[in-house]
Amino acid sequence: MSKFQKLELYAQQLPYELLPFKFDRLNDDEYVITNMAGEFHVIPAPMLEPIISKTLPLSSELIPTLRSKQFIRFTNEQAPLQLLALKIRTRLSRLAQFTNLHIFVVTLRCDHSCPYCQVSRQSESKGEFDMTTEMADKSLDFVFRSPNPAIKIEFQGGEPLLNFEMVRYVVLEAKKRNLKERRDLRFVIATTLSLLTDDMLEFCKQHNIVLSSSLDGPMDLHNANRPRPGRDSHQRFEEGLKKARAALGYDQVSALMTTTGKSLPRARDIIDEYLRLGFDGIFLRTLSPYGFAIKTKKFMSYDTERWLEFYKEGLEYIIELNKSGIRFVEQYSSIVLTKMLTSGDPGFVDLMNPAGAGIAAIVFNYDGSVYASDESRMLAEMGDHTFRLGNILEHSYEEIILSDQLLDALENSFTLSAPMCSDCAFEPYCGAEPVYHHAIHKDVVARKPESSFCKRNMAIFKHLIELMESDEQTKRIFMGWANRC
Amino acid sequence: MAFSHKLVFDERHYDIQVLQKAAYRSMNSLTVDIAADEGQIICALSSNIGVDESSFLSAVQEFKKDVLDYQLRHQLSAETKPIKNLILGLAFSKTGLISE
Repeated sequence: MSKFQKLELYAQQLPYELLPFKFDRLNDDEYVITNMAGEFHVIPAPMLEPIISKTLPLSSELIPTLRSKQFIRFTNEQAPLQLLALKIRTRLSRLAQFTNLHIFVVTLRCDHSCPYCQVSRQSESKGEFDMTTEMADKSLDFVFRSPNPAIKIEFQGGEPLLNFEMVRYVVLEAKKRNLKERRDLRFVIATTLSLLTDDMLEFCKQHNIVLSSSLDGPMDLHNANRPRPGRDSHQRFEEGLKKARAALGYDQVSALMTTTGKSLPRARDIIDEYLRLGFDGIFLRTLSPYGFAIKTKKFMSYDTERWLEFYKEGLEYIIELNKSGIRFVEQYSSIVLTKMLTSGDPGFVDLMNPAGAGIAAIVFNYDGSVYASDESRMLAEMGDHTFRLGNILEHSYEEIILSDQLLDALENSFTLSAPMCSDCAFEPYCGAEPVYHHAIHKDVVARKPESSFCKRNMAIFKHLIELMESDEQTKRIFMGWANRC
Repeated sequence: MAFSHKLVFDERHYDIQVLQKAAYRSMNSLTVDIAADEGQIICALSSNIGVDESSFLSAVQEFKKDVLDYQLRHQLSAETKPIKNLILGLAFSKTGLISE
């Protein structure tokens, strides 16, 4: 009669082998270890050295976890290598598909005069700041050269509704071309909603165009941040939101907020306003160092530490809401958590390596210039054309995509070979961001110890891990956020 | 006022690259002059302009911890480099990106 062998027979006798991983101090007592696939584990500080010197006893309760997350393997085990390779391949699969997001800046004109405007908008009447049909045609030629089976065209400005004829033209022309191309073609208009008409909405409905808008918080804060004639930006937003939801569907309108100095003491108020208006999430964004944000010194109005306090206060409130049964997501955290808790990469341009500039998103400006990213054209409006890849009327797809401006920026900022980043445990979650670093430090890599991008993101990564480690319910909430993307 | 501190490391136990990396990480608070002399690596730490004494002392402490961390990273990286290349080779094989 057969019977099972004793458990001891299966016990591992040989020492374990190390698989590649990195580590960083999470706090005075703990280290976080991460691997190439983004798996992470928090270990007590005194355990790090024994793990690496392979003196950790095989009976340690850490061994099964380290093995299951592919930090170690037993001799001759092949599955951990295959698993790691598969996860890395999955994380990087977006690269092979190439550019998805194509931004058309149809006009630089705007009815708002926000002091932190990052694109240096022009007044409503200046027609020379509009895209022409010739530029739009050439841009569409470019769009359909991308090998990506999914193409998103986003209209930006200024206020793109001020040149709605061009929006209409691009949508119809793109759809005509797509009859043959058969891509998964989607459209987004980034608009304040202040100039939205029923005709525009009818067109959006007909062509499944979604709207991405801006909401900075309660009326007083929003109107102070976003001045326009009549000081009615918030009222117009709310009216536009109601109309757009009724016409396009409740979830077809999203909103983004920008954090100014005035926003900092009001994290809860801002979140409450998003809740009041029926949004199921908020993106707690920092101010970018471009356009009028620099000229008007708005960018300097608060530092990274203060913004982090704002972010942490907001996140704490959002977690409280979730615990009380209200599902509400902080979207930046959700992007980071997706990278931490899954093998997927949400493709958020700021947190991509190689950088997402040009290869994840590309911008066709109103004047025919092609830029590596939205931030690149913002920089150009300040007179810095470092990331201008060419002109759509003069240069071919190959000349633009293979331009030194793009390739040098991508290669030189690659985090796996950048000082400090290459050893950083949080590198799998972070991004290269050459445009930001060039804007602030005049160097696409920059000195990371002096980089506020590095400081901000490092603090966010650590904070999210600490929150998950300290509370099982928070971890479950975060897993829900990560798996929604 | 500038503050300074000298640290001496034994070459048999510390790689010079490890000290360079720790120095790089500390550059926000202090600068490090690194010199080698008869089997010793001497690190002369000086505070950056505007850094007060208490912040400098904290930064020196951080530097020491970073040296230990980077030495351990160095050991880990050297040991796992071949298998890292193998994993990357597996990940990028059969992608169809290069025609056979």
